[in-house]
Amino acid sequence: MERITIDPVTRLEGHGKIEIFLDPDGEVANAYFQIPELRGFERFCVGRPVEEMPTLTNRICGVCPEAHHMAAAKAADAVYHVDPPRPAKLLRELLYSAFFFTDHTTHFYALGGPDFVVGPDAPAAERNILGVIGKVGMEVGGKVIEARKRGHDVIEMIGGRKIHPASAVPGGMTQGITEEQRAEIEKFGRWAIEFGQFSLGIFDQIVLGNAAYKEMVLSDGYTHRTYYMGMVDPNNKVNFYDGQVSIMSPDGQRVGTYAPAEYRDWIAEHVEPWTYLKFPYLKKVGWKGFVDGVDSGVYCATPLSRLNTADGMATPLAQAAYERFYDTLAPKPESGGKRLVHHRLATHWARLVELLYAAERVVELATDPEITSSNVRTVPTEKPTEGVGTVEAPRGTLTHHYWTDENGILTAVNLIVGTTNNYAPMAMSIKKAAQSLIHKGTVVHQGLLNRVEMAFRLYDPCFGCATHSLPGEMPLQVAIRNSDGEVIEILSQNC
Amino acid sequence: MADQAAPRRGPRTLVVGLGNPVLGDDGVGWRVADEVEGRLHAAREAGRRIPDVEVERLGVGGLRLMECLTGYEAAILVDAAEFPGRPSGEVRSCSFEALADHAAGHLDSAHDASLRTALALGRRLGADLPARIDTVTIQAHRTDEFSEELSPAVLAAVPAAAAAVLELLGTEAR
Repeated sequence: MERITIDPVTRLEGHGKIEIFLDPDGEVANAYFQIPELRGFERFCVGRPVEEMPTLTNRICGVCPEAHHMAAAKAADAVYHVDPPRPAKLLRELLYSAFFFTDHTTHFYALGGPDFVVGPDAPAAERNILGVIGKVGMEVGGKVIEARKRGHDVIEMIGGRKIHPASAVPGGMTQGITEEQRAEIEKFGRWAIEFGQFSLGIFDQIVLGNAAYKEMVLSDGYTHRTYYMGMVDPNNKVNFYDGQVSIMSPDGQRVGTYAPAEYRDWIAEHVEPWTYLKFPYLKKVGWKGFVDGVDSGVYCATPLSRLNTADGMATPLAQAAYERFYDTLAPKPESGGKRLVHHRLATHWARLVELLYAAERVVELATDPEITSSNVRTVPTEKPTEGVGTVEAPRGTLTHHYWTDENGILTAVNLIVGTTNNYAPMAMSIKKAAQSLIHKGTVVHQGLLNRVEMAFRLYDPCFGCATHSLPGEMPLQVAIRNSDGEVIEILSQNC
Repeated sequence: MADQAAPRRGPRTLVVGLGNPVLGDDGVGWRVADEVEGRLHAAREAGRRIPDVEVERLGVGGLRLMECLTGYEAAILVDAAEFPGRPSGEVRSCSFEALADHAAGHLDSAHDASLRTALALGRRLGADLPARIDTVTIQAHRTDEFSEELSPAVLAAVPAAAAAVLELLGTEAR
């Protein structure tokens, strides 16, 4: 391949912009993607009181404010060296489980699901929730809207505000819930479990029941053998709110688990000349490029990763779904001992297993005898210093790290947001999708954009981690360059 | 006497300032919402006729925004926009249908259905959605850096954008 150097001054920019470089034989040599990155958040935060962070950071993102709210509250707990009382932790996790249920529902029905339900080769204009309804029936649309409404009502009940929750503060929560609210939440949880089972049923029927789709899920084009990251509870079961971060090798060995505060011993960031984005990788393995395998420090943090890094789910129905997932896709264990699913399109299925877990967890938490306790806050008394808070965001492990002076005024801030973890795997998946559709300089136009979009959509990426998003349906542009770096084709949709 | 069985309805029109208030010009929708609220309050104090309106500030798009619009007869969305080649601070006003083919800020989301799809879904499901949705957009200069400040041209456009909203409301408050 001819080497193409891109001047850092003209680094790739734009929304969903992908550059594919061909070698002299017309085969795909490299594929780069770029997403806009927002700047200046650390500078924006420094000088503010750390207790503002739970409400300020949930403004970073209009998609998962609840995730930033929780990570920030946990980091602020750590800064003040305060351990919230058990009822406060239960309430936070209850809010968070309702959020996971709602967010995963939206992704499956509005974003990821349409690729399967409507079909990967359907026009982009039909691959949306309306297409899903057209195929599966109107009542599904009603259920999705109901799921979202009921989930949002619970988030508001505990979070105190309609869209950006405000109730988690250093040391716990500002308010508890009443018995009436608890009963309402339990009712929602029981309904949500049924909805979760219904959604897994749809996946069964539409995807697993279709030989061509199943083949696509299992195809090499959508398979990567990387390391996996996800948070686990003391029994090594998936947990979204709290626990240790577990790292699983591509051959099924648990490399280790670490406390969130130790993240810098495990994660480093690689810089490439063609982008402002930084690519996190496992420090102990090292950066070997955008490649698979046990020697490459590339890791993935998604619903699929969480299932792969854990030994199972902590609730019974989700555990049964987890077992079925592995029985179907990975009947044999890896050489390292654990069964792993490396098929990236299976992330959609993993997301539904998590959706069911979130629903079951809502009921578990809502029926805990302490959930209506008024003991929801330990007022911080220690001198603030430094702290790390980690939660699993729907789209990957989310870490907030704050440093303050003795008055609790922020002096430094570092965030690793969910999508960031997956920058390298996403680039690899895009390259592989392109490789399957470009040979000897001939571009298979039909389906190229769809296949490329599917390759990164399964990661549920949050572009820009902000409410701001550009016009139209998600714009996507693919530029194909020959070995001299000249653009030979541009394919685009919604640009 | 009102029909007791009829669902209680809120104000007829919802004005929504859209955006992220800590992301530079992206927050202009919120500032315009503040200005509209202030002028409505002043007009009410002065004893002038005030339309039946509620003012909201949101940082959402797609399905979530559609859900927030249910129950209103009309809605006005105020948002930062990035139309190609337009001057910063330019205020434009048009119906959502007319805008949907052009560039605008939060009306769509990479993480959700687009508002257009969401509205179509809501209507198919029989949701009580506004019959009329208008937009007022303000051309942004900078939306990729965290800041609570608006750039000068965008800040200067806030009164004109508020006036455009009030004109759509048909109020004497402008």
